[in-house]
Amino acid sequence: MPIIEIEHLTKDYGHSRGIFDVSFSVEAGEVYGFLGPNGAGKTTTIRHIMGFSRPQRGRTLVHGLNSWERASDIQRELGYLPGEIALPESLTGTDFIKMMADLRGIKDMKHTKALINKFELDPSGSLKRMSLGMKRKLAIVTAFMHDPAILVLDEPTSGLDPIMQTFFIEFIKEEKKRGKTILISSHIFSEIDATCDKISIIKEGRLISSFVADDLRHNKSKTYEIEFITEEAFTRFGVELMSIQQIEVLTLTPHKLQTTLRINDADINSLISLLADYEVKFFSEIKFTLEDYFMKFYDRNSNDAGGAIPDVLHRN
Amino acid sequence: MLSKAIFKQTLKSNIKLWLIFTVIMTVLHVLLIVVFNPSTISDMSGLVKDTPLASLLGEATFLGMLSNTFYGIHGILLPIVFIIMTANSLIASQVDRGSMAYLLSTPTKRSTVVLTQATYLITSLLLMILIVTVAGFISIQTFQGDTQISLSNYFALNIGLFLLMFATSGISFFFSCVFNLTKNSLAWGAGLPMAFFLLKLMGDVDSSLEKLKYISMNSLFNTDAVLHGENYTIQYVALAVVGIILYMLSLRVFKQKDLPL
Ligand SMILES: Nc1ncnc2c1ncn2[C@@H]1O[C@H](COP(=O)(O)OP(=O)(O)OP(=O)(O)O)[C@@H](O)[C@H]1O
Ligand SMILES: [Mg+2]
Repeated sequence: MPIIEIEHLTKDYGHSRGIFDVSFSVEAGEVYGFLGPNGAGKTTTIRHIMGFSRPQRGRTLVHGLNSWERASDIQRELGYLPGEIALPESLTGTDFIKMMADLRGIKDMKHTKALINKFELDPSGSLKRMSLGMKRKLAIVTAFMHDPAILVLDEPTSGLDPIMQTFFIEFIKEEKKRGKTILISSHIFSEIDATCDKISIIKEGRLISSFVADDLRHNKSKTYEIEFITEEAFTRFGVELMSIQQIEVLTLTPHKLQTTLRINDADINSLISLLADYEVKFFSEIKFTLEDYFMKFYDRNSNDAGGAIPDVLHRN
Repeated sequence: MLSKAIFKQTLKSNIKLWLIFTVIMTVLHVLLIVVFNPSTISDMSGLVKDTPLASLLGEATFLGMLSNTFYGIHGILLPIVFIIMTANSLIASQVDRGSMAYLLSTPTKRSTVVLTQATYLITSLLLMILIVTVAGFISIQTFQGDTQISLSNYFALNIGLFLLMFATSGISFFFSCVFNLTKNSLAWGAGLPMAFFLLKLMGDVDSSLEKLKYISMNSLFNTDAVLHGENYTIQYVALAVVGIILYMLSLRVFKQKDLPL
């Protein structure tokens, strides 16, 4: 049974802002990445999961419980890290941790203390004067203090320095090993790449792509760039390519005598034997990264939902 | 239904403000009691005779003077300012800033948050006026030993003051629960109580503006009725009912609304 289910979730804020018919689900033990440009609707979706917002259409379930109707019940097994850290400024860090522990009914502070040590947090001192990173760490500690089975993290590493970011990613991997179900919204491809099993991309309020990260990582076709020495070779190659089905031509740049092609690993030998007849200046693979794939979606003007790798795309 | 942890945090962040207003209220109340001895009262009524202020000062008895000063102006305005600031900080400002997200990401129900915060606001007002009353009672015994003062009228005035403040706090608290932005919560939660206060004051000062009084909730706290032995029970009950309804509505609104957290 999925742990977090989002079914046809719709919230129209007008002026075509909001989220529209968003559906995806996070299975037990899975780390799920939720990506999208600023204002795409990630936080809005998360608000619904938390039961802060009432859906206009559709619903969200956590552990099978409706988020809106059973908001306080689902929090028992859920840890939430808000995207914007707004702590009650009149308190000290220690007061805040104490309050959160009381509200969660935590008596044994061993786990909390371990987290404080792990993140090198110094909670004494007023929240008003704490640095952004310190506040972030404090929010992380209070999100994980009750050792919840589910975690909803809205841009968890923003505001952390690079070392803490790496440290946090390792921490997420450990939590994943311990069987936690985690939903992460993020802009940082490398952290999504490092942690996530599945990824959904949202843009302008609509899910435009959901896929299994490994399908993308172990992609069976590769892209190559070739430059020819002579114009004659370039032109002749261009003509001969037409007759070979397995090779997909992505670009032909006559003034540079360059071309980029994509070909399946299984057919690579046919390309090599073809090239043997030509004077080639260089022949190199263009490494594919998740980032290249994601960038397409971030581009405001591009509505082409990643046609580059249609075979791994499960469009919603 | 109430949360001790939230109450503790609320107390910690709001008690300073309460202390300041309680001290100012109490000192002012005691000062006025000391000042209004029979000789100053007759001096003052001589001074303002035939001026518009005469109607503001009202009848020249001790409780009459106190009613038209403390129970008409200072004793109302000070708690209103306290209510406006506190009511906003209890709900709306926490939603606006986003810190409410932490409370609601624990198994705490929204209703528990509202009830706990409402309890703080009502209790703080009750204690404030109780302290003022006790200090006033002691000052009357100490400084006005020779004056004829109906203590039951004095207590009735203080009960009325509390009920008016209870209803007023209901207004500000309600708007604090309705709005997600501090500026809107303050615009309404401060605007309406201040408007009521000013309408009543204008109606009191200028008899040509007397009609204004009747659109102000504050007129339900009618000090003249208390002092002249007229029936004021209905007005007091009305204030209590207005307060209770507003707090119930606050709970309902907050439970149902979208929170941008
Ligand atoms: N309460 C609200 N009322 C009106 N519009 C809103 C409200 N909340 C969000 N929006 C709008 O909905 C859209 C989605 O916002 P959301 O905060 O979900 O984006 P996001 O994906 O989290 O962006 P970011 O990466 O910048 O955090 C935005 O255009 C935003 O302006
Ligand atoms: Mg966001």
